[in-house]
Amino acid sequence: MSLAFDDYGRPYIILRDQGQKKRMKGLEAYKSNILAAKAVANTLQSSLGPKGMDKMLVSPDGDVSVTNDGATIVEKMEIQHPTAKLLVELSQSQDAEIGDGTTGVVVLAGKLLEQALTLLDKGIHPLKISDGFDRACDVAIKHLETISEEIDIQANEHEALIQAACTALGSKVVSKRKRELGKIAVTAVLDVADLARKDVNLDLIKIQTKTGGSVEDTRLISGILIDKDMSHPQMPKEVKEAKICLLTCPFEPPKPKTKHNINISSAEDYKKLYQQEQQYFVDMVKLVKDSGANIALCQWGFDDEANHLLLQNELPAVRWVSGTDVELIAMATGARIIPRFQEITPEKLGKAGSVKEVQFGTSNERMLVIENCQCTKAVTILIRGGSQMIVDEAKRSIHDAICVIRNLIKDNRIVYGGGSAELACSIQVLQYADEVSSVEQYAIRSFADALEGIPCCLADNCGLNPITSVAQAKARQLQESNPRIGIDCMELGTTDMKEQRIYETLSSKKQQIQLATQVVKMILKIDDVIAPDDY
Amino acid sequence: MSQFLQPTILLLREGTDTSQGRAQIVSNINAVQAVADVVKSTLGPRGMDKMIQTGPKVTISNDGATILNLLEVVHPAARVLVDIAKSQDDEVGDGTTSTTLLAAELLKEAKPFIEEGIHPQIVIQGYRKALELALEKLEGFSINISRDSPQEKRDTLLKCAQTALNSKLLANTKQFFSELVVSAVEKLDPNILDRDLIGIKNVTGGSVNDSFLVDGVAFKKTFSYAGFEQQPKRFENPKICLLNLELELKSEKENAEIRIEKPEEYQQIVDAEWALIYEKLDIIVKAGAQIVLSKLPIGDLATQYFADRNIFCAGRVPQEDLLRVQKATGGQVQTTVNGLNPETFGTCGLFEEVQVGAERYNLFKNCPQSRTATIVLRGGAEQFIQEAERSLNDAIMIVRRCFKANKIVAGGGAIELELSRYLRHYARSVTGKTQYIVNSFAKALEVIPRTIAENAGLNSIEIMNKLRQRHAQGGEEGRWYGVDINGASGVCDTHSSFVWEPSLVKRNALCSATEAACAILSIDETVKNPKSDQDTKMKPRGQPGRPPMGMRR
Repeated sequence: MSLAFDDYGRPYIILRDQGQKKRMKGLEAYKSNILAAKAVANTLQSSLGPKGMDKMLVSPDGDVSVTNDGATIVEKMEIQHPTAKLLVELSQSQDAEIGDGTTGVVVLAGKLLEQALTLLDKGIHPLKISDGFDRACDVAIKHLETISEEIDIQANEHEALIQAACTALGSKVVSKRKRELGKIAVTAVLDVADLARKDVNLDLIKIQTKTGGSVEDTRLISGILIDKDMSHPQMPKEVKEAKICLLTCPFEPPKPKTKHNINISSAEDYKKLYQQEQQYFVDMVKLVKDSGANIALCQWGFDDEANHLLLQNELPAVRWVSGTDVELIAMATGARIIPRFQEITPEKLGKAGSVKEVQFGTSNERMLVIENCQCTKAVTILIRGGSQMIVDEAKRSIHDAICVIRNLIKDNRIVYGGGSAELACSIQVLQYADEVSSVEQYAIRSFADALEGIPCCLADNCGLNPITSVAQAKARQLQESNPRIGIDCMELGTTDMKEQRIYETLSSKKQQIQLATQVVKMILKIDDVIAPDDY
Repeated sequence: MSQFLQPTILLLREGTDTSQGRAQIVSNINAVQAVADVVKSTLGPRGMDKMIQTGPKVTISNDGATILNLLEVVHPAARVLVDIAKSQDDEVGDGTTSTTLLAAELLKEAKPFIEEGIHPQIVIQGYRKALELALEKLEGFSINISRDSPQEKRDTLLKCAQTALNSKLLANTKQFFSELVVSAVEKLDPNILDRDLIGIKNVTGGSVNDSFLVDGVAFKKTFSYAGFEQQPKRFENPKICLLNLELELKSEKENAEIRIEKPEEYQQIVDAEWALIYEKLDIIVKAGAQIVLSKLPIGDLATQYFADRNIFCAGRVPQEDLLRVQKATGGQVQTTVNGLNPETFGTCGLFEEVQVGAERYNLFKNCPQSRTATIVLRGGAEQFIQEAERSLNDAIMIVRRCFKANKIVAGGGAIELELSRYLRHYARSVTGKTQYIVNSFAKALEVIPRTIAENAGLNSIEIMNKLRQRHAQGGEEGRWYGVDINGASGVCDTHSSFVWEPSLVKRNALCSATEAACAILSIDETVKNPKSDQDTKMKPRGQPGRPPMGMRR
């Protein structure tokens, strides 16, 4: 790129590595940015909705993942283009805040950009477009709030929550089992939820995956599952009325942190040292045993000698338990983490109904289940499935469902899915557009068109004729002034989403529209791109 | 030449690029122009953003100083522009684009004079004279806003913050953010107004409207060890102990050697090490601390020890955050726990750990001697938040300035036009070449309203004519007419539509732009050394661009 020429027409060197930089200005810059962002949105478009397709992504190391989750797809695509990256972040930020609707937000942004492109071709100033979008967004959000309905999450054994979870799971690979999984997710969230504060700490729900079995075998453990087994094969496999001793020190002779070495000059000394070491093990086991503990979980390893002694003293033990698990167990069982043997007291032990080792399938893999913990506030969802890919996808799907339920606990207002909310907003925005007398009118109208793109896309993915089905739905919404008419994706014979029980959270829909508008505004504001030449 | 066999005199190293004379000044002016062109379209409420990719990092910005910095300008004269933008940024924080544009425009106006052979020093003198007059007039024009009631003062600050935010991405939510900014600045010590004490934390996710202000300190949850979750996460009026001390089980001294004779003594050494750390922890607990923050790591042992005693702790707290906690809570950072005195503890109304998006944040609220504030910014994309942060930074700087100096002028190009009108008028009363030059200065000032109008997609010539006519009618009435980007007529009284800027910003912009222009005008020779040996190995010797000229006979 060159900025200036001297009197002889030779370019000046003004910027560093000027020759290797490229500059795009004005309309060219807008268009290139919009096209790049649209390319990302187009990739995701076919994943939207209950009949959306999955994407197979192969990482540089050859790991394959198959997913339908927008945030995961864009993350694994490893997008380079700076504007396209904005959409990736958009999807991730929806994921971080809401956890669901990551595909929808990107598709909406793509539709908005598509509309912006036509407006730019008409010669409308990009900032006028973004102003218009902004106003339209406000109208849409307000309308969403008016059509939203409060649901009673307690009623009918949390039926509403289960339905919402089912909606979230409906588009995933596990949709066949959505009701079972939905129930699991709802129970898990309600177990740890603080309903008074309307808060859910998702850290307390551990999702553990294990290949093998089928998705039906997925279950909820009201306790903690750790991927470890007893340190010695002969130890008992089950401990009832467990008193757990949580240690963060190894069953080994203590070592000072200061550098040290031991010089032994005579055989006598050697013996003495050996005896002392033996004594340590005996003392350690005794200390644990004396406190009344009947199982020891240790963050570090054991000396073989110690392991043997533990077995002899009938003290089952588990080694190399990870730090986060130690913390979780401590929370659930009311145990105190003990940093050295001298400090073991009966009060610091945690209590649980049972600790048992379970084996899965024919494989030789075992896991420890700690159930009926004293202050149970931690639960584990154990996901089973035929292959690693299915298990991973199921994990992501359940995560989405859990997020939806959490959002409903925080804010129990819902809107109906199936594109009905978008259609209703679109109609409202279109009405508003006619009241605006300035150039923004065009932008506002385009915003309405973009919103309509979502049900269109849904219908398309379900193999329906997008134009006819959206037109029908829209006409019925207007005739019956019923904002719940959407696309009948599952061909259940009704387009009223209330009857189909397709629930989506208001917060997620609001966030989608707001975030998409925000990013589109940002992209529209860039009129100059300076980048290295290979960009 | 050859008959005298005069040897070639080599004064400078081979490959040195020198250029001099009038051509040099003109070429410098061209270079400056080129750089100013890049930032031109960012000016004003309808200014656009630039996307600059440097390596893997992408920045999207509307801030003049940021853009110029990222452009990596190497041309020596053009670098002057980068420097003034930076100095404006450091000094007042806003108005960087207008300073750059003004400097470039002054040079552009000077170019014909130089080409016609007027000595640069005369131009410089003329510009300095014009600047002097302009500053004097600026002082006279600026409006002293009444500061009687706190409410009025707050209103003024809000207006100024909004003007600064107008051109940024946050323009649509300027009401909301100006409130945030003003409240944040009000929290500071009015005598010092230390910018560092307003923290801005970025959390991706959520919408910009979810951003909030903490009247105290907020920082991200630090790395924690097992046991952290068992600590209480909420305190009212806690005692906060601030440390610069490592609380970990570790060797006390490097390279120390201890000799022990008997195996029994071995245990003693181990115990001694434990005793050391326990002693430290015990002192802290005994002193009654409820929250322990340290700049250095707090190990798992200490974490669990504190958890057992219902104390919250966080290690590896960033320096700046610790400093802010210190200011907010009134505590003092201790480097040892020996002789720990409860008087060195700080306190705050409420401590809480909360979930913000995907991150967890520690909030210290309602601090007694709160001299700090933290703005937690939310937004969809990383770049969005970064740009929002830069915009808020500008607004904060402006509000700070307003807080100190209570004079404002109207923006939207109104003040520039008024000064321009005055200078044109004055120019008629002087004789000699200065008349031309003062006139040029006046003309150059018009670049600001013109660019604002251009960027807004308005017909700049028509607008300029309207504005000139308004101002020429003179008096109080026409004085504050500036560009109106919303209305149909394109002009309005910007003072009554509350486009306010502190006069200090304008003052600084005028000064530094003129200084920069004068500096560039006074350069008549550039000597550029060839690149160092490392570079020349890669490239053939000599400059690819300009052939060496001048020094060889």
